[in-house]
Amino acid sequence: MSLAQTRSRLLGAIFGASLALGAVAAHADTPPNVLVVAQSIDDAVSFDPAEGFELTTVQSFNNLYQRLVQTNRDDATKIEPALASAWEAGADGKSLTLALDGKAAFASGNPVRPEDVIFSLSRAVKLNKAPAFILNELGWTAETVDKAIEKIDDSHVKLTWSADVGPAFALAILTAPIASVVDEKVVAAAVKDGDFGNDWLKTHSAGSGAFVIATYTAHEALVLQANKRAPGGAPKLENVIIRNVPDVGARRLLIEQGDADIARGLSADQIDALTKVKGVKVLAVPSARTDYLLINSKANATLGNPAFWEAARYLVDYEGIAKDLLRGQSQVHQAFLPVGFPGALTDTPFKLDVEKAKKILADAKIAVPVKVEFPVFNDQPFLSIAQSLQSTFAKAGIDLDIQPGVASDIYAKGRSGNYQVTLRYWIPDYFDPHSNASAFAINKDNSANTVAKQAGWVIPKLTDETLAAVKEQDPAKRATLYQDLQREVQKSSPYVFILQGSDQVVLRDNLKGYKQGLNADQVYYDRVEK
Amino acid sequence: MHFVWVALRWLISLALTLLGLVVVTFAMTRLSPVDPATQMVGSHASASSYQAAREALGLDQPLPIQFLHYLRMAASGDFGQSISTGQPVASDIARTFPATLELATVAIIMGAALGLCLGIFAAMRPGGVFDAVARLISLVGYSVPIFWLGLLMLLLFYARLHWAPGPGRLDVLFQYTVPARTGFVLLDTWLSGKPGAFRDALAHLALPATVLMFYALAGIARLTRALVLTELGQEYALTAYAKGAAVHRVVFVHVLPNIAGQLITICALAYASLLEGAVLTETVFAWPGIGRYLTTAMFAGDMPAILGGTIVIGASFVLLNTLTDLAVGRTARGRA
Repeated sequence: MSLAQTRSRLLGAIFGASLALGAVAAHADTPPNVLVVAQSIDDAVSFDPAEGFELTTVQSFNNLYQRLVQTNRDDATKIEPALASAWEAGADGKSLTLALDGKAAFASGNPVRPEDVIFSLSRAVKLNKAPAFILNELGWTAETVDKAIEKIDDSHVKLTWSADVGPAFALAILTAPIASVVDEKVVAAAVKDGDFGNDWLKTHSAGSGAFVIATYTAHEALVLQANKRAPGGAPKLENVIIRNVPDVGARRLLIEQGDADIARGLSADQIDALTKVKGVKVLAVPSARTDYLLINSKANATLGNPAFWEAARYLVDYEGIAKDLLRGQSQVHQAFLPVGFPGALTDTPFKLDVEKAKKILADAKIAVPVKVEFPVFNDQPFLSIAQSLQSTFAKAGIDLDIQPGVASDIYAKGRSGNYQVTLRYWIPDYFDPHSNASAFAINKDNSANTVAKQAGWVIPKLTDETLAAVKEQDPAKRATLYQDLQREVQKSSPYVFILQGSDQVVLRDNLKGYKQGLNADQVYYDRVEK
Repeated sequence: MHFVWVALRWLISLALTLLGLVVVTFAMTRLSPVDPATQMVGSHASASSYQAAREALGLDQPLPIQFLHYLRMAASGDFGQSISTGQPVASDIARTFPATLELATVAIIMGAALGLCLGIFAAMRPGGVFDAVARLISLVGYSVPIFWLGLLMLLLFYARLHWAPGPGRLDVLFQYTVPARTGFVLLDTWLSGKPGAFRDALAHLALPATVLMFYALAGIARLTRALVLTELGQEYALTAYAKGAAVHRVVFVHVLPNIAGQLITICALAYASLLEGAVLTETVFAWPGIGRYLTTAMFAGDMPAILGGTIVIGASFVLLNTLTDLAVGRTARGRA
């Protein structure tokens, strides 16, 4: 047999085998009653609403659980009834009496009782996991929470709080995922060593939402099953499968081929390419995430000089970063409240102006060149943004020394104040301006773990103003107070707000009814149909 | 008596290797800048939640105490709870290790078979067309980044030609209906008796196994070629030639039995590197194996998972080494 013959037979065999393989790989769209979502779920740690604080788990809570009250999915500034059909504020402005919806039931069939509400809220405080600080805002602690939540009768529950905040703020806190109501009877059966069922709830659900967790396999998939007793009727689709597809390239192929109905977390390049592909559509949802530069004012005299902070505001190429680097994944935003929140500032007073920055630095007698350590998340888009900042800051003689690091390391440095300048992002923890204001504008004496404390920025006056704003009951007046606060922070603070995020989600074009809101938890699968 | 001694020696070497591994891994995770407590509670949590997390992880204890505590637990088979998955590490490993083992085993069987053939035939006519092809394949297999090759194969065979299914171990139709009995998807689908499930599993395995195979094949073919060529220059081979033996007779009758031991070692080493080094392939093909598990754990500073995974991979290395030694010993005895 000649070499040519051998070669042709070999090739024939290879192609024959490939074709046989191809025949079994029937190419089909996803099943009609199943929604397949391709994203990374590597971050998921716990599906217990008292613990879960990662993007993947936070995005699941609205589909698994209900809270007493919820934000309207079209307009998050409106709070509407959920498990509670009505509520009344106490005369002193420090209590709420809520009437439970008599018809509400958990997926297990158990009715929703005041005992469930008491169990859910108190376990969340006592477990003291990552999101517990949200309920701590009401002054609830492991010691006091039992007294703060009481059953009035079989359909009423009363909440009282010691913190100096009003009922509107308390309601906003109750819309956070940590205030989800779990089925006490189901969870009680799974309690181990006084863990309030935490271990079991990490991978199971016991709620009254549109779906229940059918199976969850870490790093593999979260499979949701329709809850037939769901409020407002069973969801349109039987299952939602959230598949872990860690590689973004593979995610893009899956959505292009119709093997996924939704893909998240794609890069700007891939979104660009997908906008030209038939059969898919790109949904751009404004997100409440803000990216900002954080300056440690305690690091040295230069970084503690307000002139340095001011100069920094003119050394950011806002337009270039938003338009050229992030291409639609972010907009220029220069205040601590994201657009969509009550009181948000939409004007952008700063732009790249190297000469002005140089003059500010010279007037303040800040010696340049100056070298600044700049730890940055070892991930995109942070590294690209950091490189842009490095090049513009260099023009005024500020040498940003980019030090890529893992997120937990950079957060730990922030916590211990062991950094000079860093690039970070902030996502509100609940839908109220105080979530951001308390982070950026509260630091009386370095006692609480706020961003202001991490910047070493002690601000008793701003702290008082922030605490006054959260007490204000008139919504219009309150919004004005937050605008004033933001202007003060814009004028002088060790922060440079740069961007507000926009979440680009890719959907197959036969998909209807998918809803995603401004806040991280506002992802809704219940009305999706194909 | 001999067997007992061999077994005892193996156990001692296993224990020492694992102890060494644990010490080094423990030190490395503690020296790394990742803060597991921050990783667990995030940046917004209150100081008391952060402190509670540190205590729950035992990070408030002095290092030697943490280490001894860990050793005690590991000795009793309890690797603790993973920070990044919230699950017991033992059950995570029981889930992810079979996935990698299955992928690597299929890849090494194909890679060894093809690589040995390629290497042997290339050495028989050095400088010939076959040799050139073999060298090209080895060069590409060595130098092309494996994730790029994986993505390219997905693009071609899945997206363009539609010959192969996309990333994942099974189609969504089967993934959650086939019960996981063994963790090996080929076995599970076969046992389930669901029509089409086994073929689906096989089809999903084809691309990632081919990518890994390519990587293993490159090394095996190159080393085999070099070994055979060296042996062909030895006196015994020249003598065989002088006696009038044809090249295939010299290679298959004289050379191969002599280098069988080395060939087995080469394949075993390639197999071992596939077991722990398949992380990029696993990422591209959304294959939930132990490589990805360990990498994610490392980024999260998830010490229980890192230590547990390292011990399992270390144990497989030792086991594979012993098996190779036994096999090599057997081939040597067979020749004697």
